[in-house]
Amino acid sequence: MKKDEHFSEEQLNAFVDGELDPEEKSRLYNESAKSPELDMRLCQTRKLKELVRHAYDDVPAPQRPRGPTLRRSGPFGRALVAGVLLAIGATSGYLGHGLISAEPANTSAATAQVLEQPENYLLHVVSGDPEQMYSALSHAKFLLDSADEGEIRRIEIVANERGLDLLRSDVTPYAEEIRALQKNNVVFYACARSIQRLEEKGVEVVLVPDTRQDYTALDRVVMRMQDGWKYEKI
Amino acid sequence: MPKSIILGISQRRALRKLVENSRERLYRMAYAWTHDPHLADDLVQQSIYKALNNQKQLKDMGAAEAWLFRILSNCLKDHYRAKRDVVSADDVVIADEVTPEQNTEKQQLVDKVRRAVRKLPMAQCQVVTLVDLEGFTYASVAEILEIPVGTVMSRLCRGRRALKEHLIDVGTAATPRRSTTLKRVK
Repeated sequence: MKKDEHFSEEQLNAFVDGELDPEEKSRLYNESAKSPELDMRLCQTRKLKELVRHAYDDVPAPQRPRGPTLRRSGPFGRALVAGVLLAIGATSGYLGHGLISAEPANTSAATAQVLEQPENYLLHVVSGDPEQMYSALSHAKFLLDSADEGEIRRIEIVANERGLDLLRSDVTPYAEEIRALQKNNVVFYACARSIQRLEEKGVEVVLVPDTRQDYTALDRVVMRMQDGWKYEKI
Repeated sequence: MPKSIILGISQRRALRKLVENSRERLYRMAYAWTHDPHLADDLVQQSIYKALNNQKQLKDMGAAEAWLFRILSNCLKDHYRAKRDVVSADDVVIADEVTPEQNTEKQQLVDKVRRAVRKLPMAQCQVVTLVDLEGFTYASVAEILEIPVGTVMSRLCRGRRALKEHLIDVGTAATPRRSTTLKRVK
């Protein structure tokens, strides 16, 4: 039996991954100095780890179709994600109760602006269940009706995945309801990515008139939350 | 002021920063699991939705990174569950695709490694990439994938053995198993 056979692959992995306890690590160091075979096995394990890391240093960015709406960030939308999280904090209720000063100076103004805005809503439809779709439309109607007198409440409904059926003119059971809401300034957005996926499967997608598109539902959600809108997933 | 409120605000700030800093890392991981830019992008978006919608579930910011990657892993499981009800996501092997011939030596190497990773069963692929790309400890990987640490080690072992066969010309004869003492085990 060779000396290095005392060490299992699990042990070599743990050594390379920094998971061995100091005592066993020292033992392996000493043994590898004496055994070229063991040393080679360790080198190969390290090399393998480096190879895997190297192979994913640069990964291809997702190919995003160009939507008609301008996006606010680069391919990964990091700034928007920061914004959505800021907005979550700002709209959570706590910040409006004397804690605004706890925010960094550059966000206080944005927070104050958010608090002065009327309550605007983004409703997000992901389900293809007609009842869920109807629930979203009913909720939008309720939100319009419950606005304070003189308050101009803005509402957007964004649909993606199976929820896109809501906005497909040949599929939706609610074209009339959508039209009625549009007349009340409710704006409907379809996820361009979801449309692209359907089209890749050979499905022709025709949207209800006056439906707008954004690249992804997330882009829309993040942008509106950054603007201080309330977000509800239906 | 109630202490819970202070903690809540602090946690939201920390989570905000975490997601802000993690999106590209999540994408890289999702890509390494799927080798499909569209799917990887979708998984990351779903993960962010879920993280934002379920942020109250996060009780310990120290575990936030693992929590975020666990959400990503669960999104992948959900994806495969929706695709095929019978096959476990752990057993999925991403189909090997012919990639365009690349001229650069670096790209050839990268393609070769990715092809080898793509051939791994998903369960092994996830462990290998979480350890190698993100440097997660075995205990963290166990948390992310919701499996015992011993399973992490055995999957890592099998995954690396398979990769060695493709990437390094070495004999992979099994060696006698011996208990391993880890410095960090949950």
